[in-house]
Amino acid sequence: MRRTAALLSTHGGRSIPRALADVLVCPLSKQPLRYCEATGSLVSDAAGVSFPVLDGIPSLVPKDGKLLDDQEVKSEQESSTTDSSG
Amino acid sequence: MASSAAAARRLLLLRHRHGHLLPKRHFSSSSAADGLDDGGGGGRVKIFDRDLKRRHRDRAAWAMRETDGLVDAVAENLLDRLEDCRKAFPSALCLGGSAGAVRRLLRGRGGIERLIMMDMSADMVKKWRESENSSGDEPETHFVVGDEEFLPIKESSQDLIISCLGLHWTNDLPGAMIQCRLALQPDGLFLAAILGGETLKELRIACTVAQMEREGGISPRMSPLAQVRDAGNLLTRAGFTLPGVDVDQYTVKYNNAFELVEHLRAMGETNALFQRNPVLKRDTALATAAIYQSMFGLEDGSIPATFQVIYMTGWREHPSQQKAKRRGSAAISFSDIQKQFGPSEN
Repeated sequence: MRRTAALLSTHGGRSIPRALADVLVCPLSKQPLRYCEATGSLVSDAAGVSFPVLDGIPSLVPKDGKLLDDQEVKSEQESSTTDSSG
Repeated sequence: MASSAAAARRLLLLRHRHGHLLPKRHFSSSSAADGLDDGGGGGRVKIFDRDLKRRHRDRAAWAMRETDGLVDAVAENLLDRLEDCRKAFPSALCLGGSAGAVRRLLRGRGGIERLIMMDMSADMVKKWRESENSSGDEPETHFVVGDEEFLPIKESSQDLIISCLGLHWTNDLPGAMIQCRLALQPDGLFLAAILGGETLKELRIACTVAQMEREGGISPRMSPLAQVRDAGNLLTRAGFTLPGVDVDQYTVKYNNAFELVEHLRAMGETNALFQRNPVLKRDTALATAAIYQSMFGLEDGSIPATFQVIYMTGWREHPSQQKAKRRGSAAISFSDIQKQFGPSEN
């Protein structure tokens, strides 16, 4: 049953279950994270860092994060204005 | 005081030497710590190499046995405390260490509905995810890769945080515990088991003697561990209310010292100090095993190893909890009480 729920959530375009996405925050700034569908990563706008989601498991170790360039952040924000933030 | 400052400087120097190994484009945790802990002085000291610990845990993910007597005993003891609480904990977070054992032994205790399991090692987390047991009464479980020192959990979102044998590898233990407290809801419970200072004292002694004998000096082979008296202070310092600390000592018998080290590897509990000596000479290793055997060996040829586990319990403050009255708030004098109830002086 859990598996099907996970499948549904991936088909729905979200690779992270809602219940999990609701409690995750940026490990550095403790601000909410936004799921970026284009790169399949969790973006912390406050810290300007994106965290990868590998195989459905978000990796929120600060060292795994990638610093985003300012332009990249802007373009992502523009492209994902319709996304609900994670 | 001065010596601790000197030690801190030494560690800083060491960290700088390690600094160039980090890939530039990645967000390094040391620079993040610099940014976050500017106020807190103590947060800058790096004792443990968290990256190395992460690799240890990657290795432990495949080296670990299905069930481990010691780990299971600790997890069982920790979870037993949930039965003492009348409260149910719908959302729970399980941190690093032996979270796999915690999940296996949970068996519906604590009324957990949603469980989040977090570890530094992606391999470990994947292993946990694969080992979903088929019994249907398991809570809804989610997995995250995260660092206890940088807890990625929203404030006031969890009812229960369990950390079984993981927090003794954090550089900033009070900081990690404060983050746990913040992630808890009011009246949320924090349960942790960490290894205490008496752990592996036999191996510590054998290592020191062997190194003195073969190399003419010693290097730190074991991590500094929290003492029992520190644990209560830690809980209070992190702001937990109704703190409780108790200690248990386990003695595990091994056939020889190498088997002990294999077990430590399988648990991911091997040396991750920044100051460690990366070289262990074969000669010294053999001497350590021989000294261990001769100094502590039992009659049946096996060797004992002590594991001291400190269990810490704390709650996030809530108006419903009992607490001491404010100083000076008493309206009745003690002498009046004595007049009322006390025995007459003469």
